[in-house]
Amino acid sequence: MLMKNLILAAVALLVTGGVAMAASAVNRDGEPRTLVVTEGGSQSELTVGPGETVEFCSGGCFVTMPNGDREVLTGTETIEISGGRGRIR
Amino acid sequence: MLRLILLPACLLLQFAFAALAATHEPSSLLAAQRATITDVARATDVLAKKVDEQSGDDAKLVEIRVELERLAREVFDASLAFRPRLSEINTRLEQLGAARGDGEPPEPEAVTAERTRLLDEKASFNVLIGDAERLSVRINGIIEEIAQLRRDLFASTLSRRYDVTAALSTDVLGEFNSELGQIYKTVSSWLAFTVKYRLKPLLTATFLALVSALCLLVGGRRLFGDFIKPDPTEEAPTYLSRLSVALFSTLIPSASLAMFLAVAYYFLDYFRLLRADIAPLLWALFTVLVLVFFVYRLARAVLSPRMANWRLLPVRSQAARWLVLLAGLTAAVTGFDYFMDQVYLLFGSQLTLTVATSLVATVVVGLLVILIGGVRPLDDAEGNPRHWPLKFRYLLFAIGGAIIAAALLGYIGFARFLSQQVVVTGAIIATMYIGFLTAGAVTKEGAFAKSWLARRLERYSPFDETTLDQIGLVVGMVINVLVVLIGVPLILLQWGFRWADLIAWSYRLAGPLEIGSLSFSMVGILTGILVFVVGYFFTRWFQSWLDGSVMARSRMDSGVRNSIRTGVGYVGLVIAGLIGVSAAGINLSNLALVAGALSLGIGFGLQNIVSNFVSGLILLAERPFKAGDWIVAGAVSGTVRKISVRATEIETFQRQTVILPNSELINGAVGNWTLRNKLGRVEIPIGVAYGSDVRRVHEILSDIAKSHPAVLKNPEPFVLFAGFGESSLDFEIRFYLSDITAQLPVQNDIRFAIVDAFEAEGIEIPFPQRDLHVRSGELGITSKPARGGVRASPEPVELHVEEGAKARRRRKIDPE
Repeated sequence: MLMKNLILAAVALLVTGGVAMAASAVNRDGEPRTLVVTEGGSQSELTVGPGETVEFCSGGCFVTMPNGDREVLTGTETIEISGGRGRIR
Repeated sequence: MLRLILLPACLLLQFAFAALAATHEPSSLLAAQRATITDVARATDVLAKKVDEQSGDDAKLVEIRVELERLAREVFDASLAFRPRLSEINTRLEQLGAARGDGEPPEPEAVTAERTRLLDEKASFNVLIGDAERLSVRINGIIEEIAQLRRDLFASTLSRRYDVTAALSTDVLGEFNSELGQIYKTVSSWLAFTVKYRLKPLLTATFLALVSALCLLVGGRRLFGDFIKPDPTEEAPTYLSRLSVALFSTLIPSASLAMFLAVAYYFLDYFRLLRADIAPLLWALFTVLVLVFFVYRLARAVLSPRMANWRLLPVRSQAARWLVLLAGLTAAVTGFDYFMDQVYLLFGSQLTLTVATSLVATVVVGLLVILIGGVRPLDDAEGNPRHWPLKFRYLLFAIGGAIIAAALLGYIGFARFLSQQVVVTGAIIATMYIGFLTAGAVTKEGAFAKSWLARRLERYSPFDETTLDQIGLVVGMVINVLVVLIGVPLILLQWGFRWADLIAWSYRLAGPLEIGSLSFSMVGILTGILVFVVGYFFTRWFQSWLDGSVMARSRMDSGVRNSIRTGVGYVGLVIAGLIGVSAAGINLSNLALVAGALSLGIGFGLQNIVSNFVSGLILLAERPFKAGDWIVAGAVSGTVRKISVRATEIETFQRQTVILPNSELINGAVGNWTLRNKLGRVEIPIGVAYGSDVRRVHEILSDIAKSHPAVLKNPEPFVLFAGFGESSLDFEIRFYLSDITAQLPVQNDIRFAIVDAFEAEGIEIPFPQRDLHVRSGELGITSKPARGGVRASPEPVELHVEEGAKARRRRKIDPE
């Protein structure tokens, strides 16, 4: 009983701690576009193929759009890339 | 006149200022965010230096990490502040379009100027966000570094090997003595000074601490009086009461002591009585005191060495005494070790001294644990002492052995960690276990109803046994939740997690979760449920108030009351649900989307249910019948019992309950005998034999109807000469009753009266009959007389059936 309760509590903690939201980016252009994503202490390049949608940034990140614009995402937005410009919805 | 001119002027001025402010905003936004980011960068530098300085102190590192996390959020928010302006700029740039090329006609000067201005502004934003990004990376890097440092720190504490042989020399004893002397000197000088010069604040602090602790103790005793002291006269206390006594007799005195010490410490600090060398000493002492006291109380509560019938664990009395002693000693030794460690830290003592003390203490703890494992607390089949169950015993032996082995091999840190875990985590888990057991016992059927709280509840409230049982269920759940909420963080704290970690987790728990476009949080959902429950009970209360106080006094018809009551109930429920959903933080417009998508499916799938529901609402509003009415719907005839959302309950006169879907009651024809009044007509048909005196019959029937007291005089009863039947002259008595539901006794009375009267007058009541005439004649069939058969007559036989033309009185023809 004790064990069960403890395990349940731990699982609840893990589940709620582990559930992450994410931002998504969709590329409306005919060519692949690259976003530079800085999340936490690491920076990475994210290439989105034409018409593709990717999920990234589970909790707040800095993004550099293909045209050089910089943006900050809280992790709930959807970015639409068209003509190299990223628009946040 | 002047005013009339001034007013628009003022307005214009205001607009001008507002416009000015608006144009100024971007640059001020930039300046403000730049200032924030510069501040954060400076704070980060300071913290980074601190990390290097404090790299050996776990608690400090956690503090720095929390501060860094705050800074990271600040940088993030500062960058986020640009978003509205950035999207404004982007939209405007799109409207302006791309710059024209060489071959195209030049664009107006103003357009070029604005584009340049906007692009410049955007570029400066981008630069600043870039700075913020670099800063954020740096902060996160430091946070990761801290995590690594803490991991290393923990591992090195546990895995560091000390030279034990050096610690076992005789010099250490002398050093120990001198340390004790130093403690004595420090404490006595502090006490002498305080008593001499600051006696009043000292006494005040002590007094305040005593008062607060007494408040808790007395309050606890008043509230849980029955639970703190076991009643020695009680022969066989219930499991629940034993558990509660164990729980509360541990928690309340321990909490009181903790309160006393905490308040004393607080006020000593407040009056500035604590010197820098005394404060940590006192803090360590107080912590150890509370811990040891708690473990001792817990052991006594569970084992109850004096009163065998209040014991939670079924151990022998002798063993119980031993176990309490051993547990108390284990706690005391561990506490002593912890306290001495703080002392050495404070006085900067030799490492050998720390190692020696810890070595001795941990070995003693290990031995004590093994001793606990060696106790024979249980009874075997013959009533002789028996060991613990094998697994438990070996677990204890293994822990004790591990502690001793680690200490002797020089892994003092590990041994201390283990022995502290054994005491503290063991105590917390034992308390939690009792809590869970209590919850389980409360939840058991009928257990709560017999408890002291329920008895008190019963006295002041109209709860019956079933309700109390349900309350017991809820109480059990609440206890479970509380135990987990309090116990798990305590254990995690023991395992090296810090408050800051736990708080960060709880924020995450409370934070919003995203599922698709729906966003909600655990706390929000719980709030929503709570709000809904409150709304539901409020609706119930309002319903009964409306029904009992308002509508009962207005002498409303019971059907109307029922309709209003039910309607109010539904409306209240829907409102409570809506408020609950919005309190849960679920956006209703999001739900509308889902509902829109599902409505087609719902429309097909739940067609009947929805139509029944709407029909139910119509029934409540239109009231073609109400509860208690006698209705006839198709083949069903009976009394309406209840009109609910989907169906109506009808009780037939055979006491069968028929559940009729509301839509059938709306769509089909429903006869209601008692819609506006209960007046109704009853017909009793009766036939008399041909040849009777019909006028006399008419007169008799008319008299019978009129003379019955239940038959209404107006409309007058009427006797109809209904027709010439096949075997009778048919009459029908038609009379009205004020209450049609009570027609059966009246019908009985009248029929009896008719029979009696006809008997007296010699009037015959006929029944249908057939006369069989057998005529003799040639059949043209010659047959030999069959043996024992019917003799064929020489005349032809004419079969003549005369159907009931003639009535004979009570003379039956033998069919043979």
